[in-house]
Amino acid sequence: MSTINYANSMLHSELADAVGKEFVSSNAADQLGHSIDYYWIPELWHDRGFDNPKPQFIVHPATAQEVAKVMKIANKYKIPVTPWGGGSGSQGGALPMYGGIILDTKRMNKVLHVDTDSLTVTVETGINTQHLEWAIEKKGFSTMHFPASIACATLGGFLAHRGTGVLSTKYGKIEDMVMSVEVVTPTGEIINTLPVPRHASGPDLTMLYLGSEGTLGVITKVTLKIHPIPESRKFHAFLFKNMHEAMTAGANIMRSRLRACVIRLYDEPETEHLIKRVLGIDKKGAYLVFGFDGNEKMVDLEMEAACELCRRQDHEDLGTEMGQSWWDNRYKFFYPPFMFHMPQAFGTLDTVADFAHIENVYWAMKNTVNENFPEARFIGHFSHWYEWGCMLYARFIVEEPPHDPEEATLYYNKIWDMAIRAAIREGGVINEHHGVGLKLGRLMPELYGPAFNILESIKTSMDPNNIMNPGKMGFRC
Amino acid sequence: MKIDEFQETIHACRFCFMCRHLSAVGNVTFRESDTPRGRALIAGKMQQSMDTLEQDYIDAIFKSEISASCRFHCVSHFDEAGLVIAAREDIVAAGKAPEPVKVVAEQLKNVSFSVEGSGDTLYYVDSYSDKKSAPAGCKTISGGDTGRALQVLGYTADSEAVFAQFANAVKSSGCVKLVTSCPASFYFLKENLNGVEVMHASAFLSSKKGSGEVYYLESDYLKNYCAEFVSPAESLTKLGYSLKPFGTNPEESYTAGEGAVVYDRLYPEVAEKMCKHISELADNPTSDVLVTASPYTKAVLNKYAPELTVKLLDEILVKGL
Ligand SMILES: Cc1cc2nc3c(=O)[nH]c(=O)nc-3n(C[C@H](O)[C@H](O)[C@H](O)COP(=O)(O)OP(=O)(O)OC[C@H]3O[C@@H](n4cnc5c(N)ncnc54)[C@H](O)[C@@H]3O)c2cc1C
Repeated sequence: MSTINYANSMLHSELADAVGKEFVSSNAADQLGHSIDYYWIPELWHDRGFDNPKPQFIVHPATAQEVAKVMKIANKYKIPVTPWGGGSGSQGGALPMYGGIILDTKRMNKVLHVDTDSLTVTVETGINTQHLEWAIEKKGFSTMHFPASIACATLGGFLAHRGTGVLSTKYGKIEDMVMSVEVVTPTGEIINTLPVPRHASGPDLTMLYLGSEGTLGVITKVTLKIHPIPESRKFHAFLFKNMHEAMTAGANIMRSRLRACVIRLYDEPETEHLIKRVLGIDKKGAYLVFGFDGNEKMVDLEMEAACELCRRQDHEDLGTEMGQSWWDNRYKFFYPPFMFHMPQAFGTLDTVADFAHIENVYWAMKNTVNENFPEARFIGHFSHWYEWGCMLYARFIVEEPPHDPEEATLYYNKIWDMAIRAAIREGGVINEHHGVGLKLGRLMPELYGPAFNILESIKTSMDPNNIMNPGKMGFRC
Repeated sequence: MKIDEFQETIHACRFCFMCRHLSAVGNVTFRESDTPRGRALIAGKMQQSMDTLEQDYIDAIFKSEISASCRFHCVSHFDEAGLVIAAREDIVAAGKAPEPVKVVAEQLKNVSFSVEGSGDTLYYVDSYSDKKSAPAGCKTISGGDTGRALQVLGYTADSEAVFAQFANAVKSSGCVKLVTSCPASFYFLKENLNGVEVMHASAFLSSKKGSGEVYYLESDYLKNYCAEFVSPAESLTKLGYSLKPFGTNPEESYTAGEGAVVYDRLYPEVAEKMCKHISELADNPTSDVLVTASPYTKAVLNKYAPELTVKLLDEILVKGL
């Protein structure tokens, strides 16, 4: 037995001692599964027959205490630990770039307590979000967190990425839904943030962990708000002459402070292609759909007021049916073959800006992609709306990227770099809800400027051995 | 290779996560390789090289419960269940089936069908039922699996040989109607047995009115494989039973591996976990009455979750609660 094998089996024994023998593996099938997430680059490498970086060990802890033991072992040996939920992140955040341990959270999947006075649920974060929603619905409530990847991802993944669901416009992104979290720190302490999200008892530690993408610890438990299932939810769709008209209508709804649960606006190319393909609505222009939910009388009043605002722009009223059809098919866009797939190269360039800048961000990104990569298609929709602005879910699609994976990677990264820099220049940010991960880490110092030093200092002091998800979010490898 | 016929499915599923929440095995092992995506990635590796195929890949392919919930759920119905069976065929053809699979396959090949009793209708007694369950006035045929079990294990030629023996025995019985309680056999025989009307027992038995609260566990085969089959849940309601929804949703497979026909003989520890999972989802594990159409499901739940009261649909239809 070589020294390295000997060291490996010692480590295996220690991990087995921490989480149970059955829950540590170096199984080749699992290593393969954990070497590819929803990021295009590992998919490309797999497609081309190459191997992606693999973890040495995969552990499935059942409790925060077991997670803490794994952290202590990893610190002792200075081995990387990468949390993995569902692996559905699109930024390469869960990839074990430097081998080491994949800490798969899925075994921590229990709903611990539903508080019907406060309307909250306390739950372990490895739970699949569709399973969570089903469990809560059975009790007569809803999390109101309906991302397209509801069935793909764990709650922890959304917390780590600051994810969002279709109804975010009313119910918020995941960070708006959280009361408090339990975290296992990189050095193996188990900590809890304050029980309520609104206080004046110091800075908000909860928010430090939301969006930390597994670089500052493992989020093991969370208390989330839940909601009564609304009596009514209704939708309405309009077609506008162009995106600007539609944007004005959408922004007017938000500025009027009507509380739409969803607003979604598709640019002209996406209306022409995707809306036609998925919903069968064959029209030219910009498709806007919105919905309200809650008490039926209120819904009807708000709906009428929102429709009135839309009618002020150059519009065609598509009615409720074409709005409802969008809701009914809202996840269909993400199933094959509707979703983009190999050999296409594609990426979701999502960003967010205030209403004063969002259209400029859109055009800057679109022009950058079109001018520099004429072979690429650029489409976009605006999915998540705030009182002050909205999120742009832009996509580029290249039908035939270079075949050679290294060349393809360089090409792919170049599109990202140019498009994201264009967004930042116009007042956008790197990302709105998919996170940074491996894909966009290099742009973090540019986005934050000198403030990035603060993030780096936090990382260094919390994770002195740099074991947690190294090389992600722009932190050192 | 057989899996090459499933190229579109491999490409659709290998990077898709949309049905992972319905992986009955993945939901209890928590392993990425026990999801449709994990298995489609492995299929890609199989296409690259069968010679250097890792044993772990092979095990993951055989560990699937092939409930077909994922295919049913997928908006495009990509046939991941079919892909898994094709992958097994390729593995078997390459002589690389895992040892426990080989052992069970040998046992499944060893059939000897016999017809007993009298009547115009033939009742097939599957390996998880006994002859006493046969409806009165029917002949019985028993003596092994019909060939579906070998088919799902990837032993196509052997499955065909076993099925040929079964079909001969049916022919010599002189019956033109065959009834079975086993949903897997119902599906398989409906697809393959010519010249004989194949019925599921729930549609054949003369059922009587009843009352009481029951939870119906959908069968993988009746729900996900036989699209046109009306769920027995409806019959139960019509007969007067008050049906409560089991678990949290109507999509997950709560059968403990029915799709794989003989799952408990191959991976008893995983079958046990699936049973425990079902038990955890019961509203009141010690007092609820769970009804299943699958003799397999009843048998494994009795074995691994004895705290549950599980009744076979046929029993309820004939005898009441
Ligand atoms: C088809 C499809 C549609 C999608 N639609 C949406 C959408 O509508 N909205 C949206 O927000 N996203 C969407 N995504 C992206 C993705 O689902 C989300 O980013 C999700 O949050 C990832 O969760 P996961 O459990 O799969 O995380 P993973 O991919 O496993 O991990 C993501 C990151 O989080 C870290 N992490 C995971 N769990 C923990 C934990 N418990 N503690 C600390 N760090 C952790 C990982 O280390 C990694 O950095 C979509 C993805 C797909 C495949």
